Amino acid sequence: MLELKDVCAGNGGADVLHDVSCAFPTGGSCCILGPNGCGKTTLLRVMAGLIPHRGQVLLDGAEISGMKRRELAARIAVMSQINAVHFPYTVYDTVMLGRYQHMRSALFGGPSAADREAVERCLASTGLSDLRRRMLDELSGGQRQRVFLAHALAQDPETILLDEPTNHLDVKHQVELIDYLHRWCADGRHTVIGVLHDVNLALRLSRNVVFLREGRILRAGDFGEIADSAFLRDVYGMDLSGFMRESMALWRDVR
Amino acid sequence: MRRGPKILICVAAGMLCLLLGMGVGSVSIGLGDMVAIVRSRLAGAPLPGRIPSITASILWNLRMPRAIMAFLVGASLAASGAVMQSVLRNPLASSYTLGVSSGASLAAAVVILTGFELPLLRGATLVLCGFLGGLATVFLAMGLAARFDRNLENTTVILTGMVLSLFVNALLTLVTAFARQHLQQLIFWQMGSFAGQTWSNCGAMLALTAAGVLVLVRYGREMDLMTFGEEQALSAGVELKRVKLLLIALAALLTGAAVAFAGVIGFVDLISPHVVRRLFGSNHRRVIPLSALFGGSFMVLADLVARTVVSPQELAVGAVTALVGAPFFAYVYFARRRGERGA
Repeated sequence: MLELKDVCAGNGGADVLHDVSCAFPTGGSCCILGPNGCGKTTLLRVMAGLIPHRGQVLLDGAEISGMKRRELAARIAVMSQINAVHFPYTVYDTVMLGRYQHMRSALFGGPSAADREAVERCLASTGLSDLRRRMLDELSGGQRQRVFLAHALAQDPETILLDEPTNHLDVKHQVELIDYLHRWCADGRHTVIGVLHDVNLALRLSRNVVFLREGRILRAGDFGEIADSAFLRDVYGMDLSGFMRESMALWRDVR
Repeated sequence: MRRGPKILICVAAGMLCLLLGMGVGSVSIGLGDMVAIVRSRLAGAPLPGRIPSITASILWNLRMPRAIMAFLVGASLAASGAVMQSVLRNPLASSYTLGVSSGASLAAAVVILTGFELPLLRGATLVLCGFLGGLATVFLAMGLAARFDRNLENTTVILTGMVLSLFVNALLTLVTAFARQHLQQLIFWQMGSFAGQTWSNCGAMLALTAAGVLVLVRYGREMDLMTFGEEQALSAGVELKRVKLLLIALAALLTGAAVAFAGVIGFVDLISPHVVRRLFGSNHRRVIPLSALFGGSFMVLADLVARTVVSPQELAVGAVTALVGAPFFAYVYFARRRGERGA
């Protein structure tokens, strides 16, 4: 269970989040929705322990700012937009780096058998086994994002936080990634909390949503129950449901 | 080619460079003679009659400390360059970016100009002050950067370092203007030289280089993660701030020592890691020691050129590394870019 109590935080300057309180039970998924600048990514970064906060962020009752990085990494992984690759690594090495917090920092210690097995499992489940020797900078955007998914999975976390991971991906790869994560957290032991720009994609990941505006939570719960046309217009400053219906109409005649 | 044999070839090539650095010069010394001379010095074996004692002295007192020092300095610079490029995620970063060389040069210039001598350590005054000057500048740069930006973002660190570096260089120019009679010495120091090295210098540098490289290898995985971005490293479990400060301090230490013993020598720190990454990939547990090997070998060859090409005069070794290094770097860098565009 990841729980926020009266959290205020900002990216260095003024607060972006104001008195945010919410809870994400283990098992299942949730999407954070809202217009640009509402604090979605800031909220995610607070939960990942990447920026300081006031108030409490509790992981099974323990404040995360008091935890060691390794402890936190064993529980929570972050997957974000495609990273620029500064120096080329192989697919295998990149996924193995996800095992960092499980490895001891011995001078000449290599990965253990358990680490190698875990990496094999992650490569297989993301369909990367055949690409293991390829360099990251030789891969397509979709393949590369699968490598970062495998890297996050190799951390063996309970929770994966998604920060717009589908940016720069084509539709096929967007849907594949989201469906994979949807299945991953369907076993009741894993949690996915996502910030996705695309509302349709977000709803494909989870019907459980949190609406943010100007750093405050407006509503949280099942999308079908809490969202109506007037509310969405209020949040997004436009007729979102009308727009979605118009988009649907464009597809009606496609054979 | 598989990695194992490739590494062996590199080690052998490094040894060959060292032997060349010791054997070639105004007097050529063959491998057999070298072994005989070293045996006579270390084990007290009698020197064979065919080797004049002056040759033995040249090898033992001049060439060997010089070549070994060149190797160690090149190794230290290259290893610290690899660290800086990864930690600051900038392929053009080096400890020089953070002001090590300007700080060390300024301190040395002040020592030369004022004739200041440390009590008890008179002979080591220049080296020690240069070393401390370099370190002090890096820590000043980091301290300032931390005041501007609590999270120590890379761009802040690089910009602060460059601004401070330029400022210290301006101070150096001022100091130099008052030191016309020492100009030759100052310029030579600013371009680097391995003339006049001693075995005790080598011992000190060996200890520093070996310890520094070992600790850096220990932090190889952390550096791997940091090249993917600071948030990536944090969320994978790296205690980022502590590791980053430690790595920068270590790199500054290695560069500071190198500058203190041999003056400012550019390009080795920049090109070595790039060449090694192209040959062996980016894994830092390999990049760090192999960069050190490459940088050391390259420096020995550069020094060989510097002292033989217009002999009996000597070129500044920094000029040689830049003359070879700049076009070489352009080739490596742009060949890769062209390859990427073609792919």
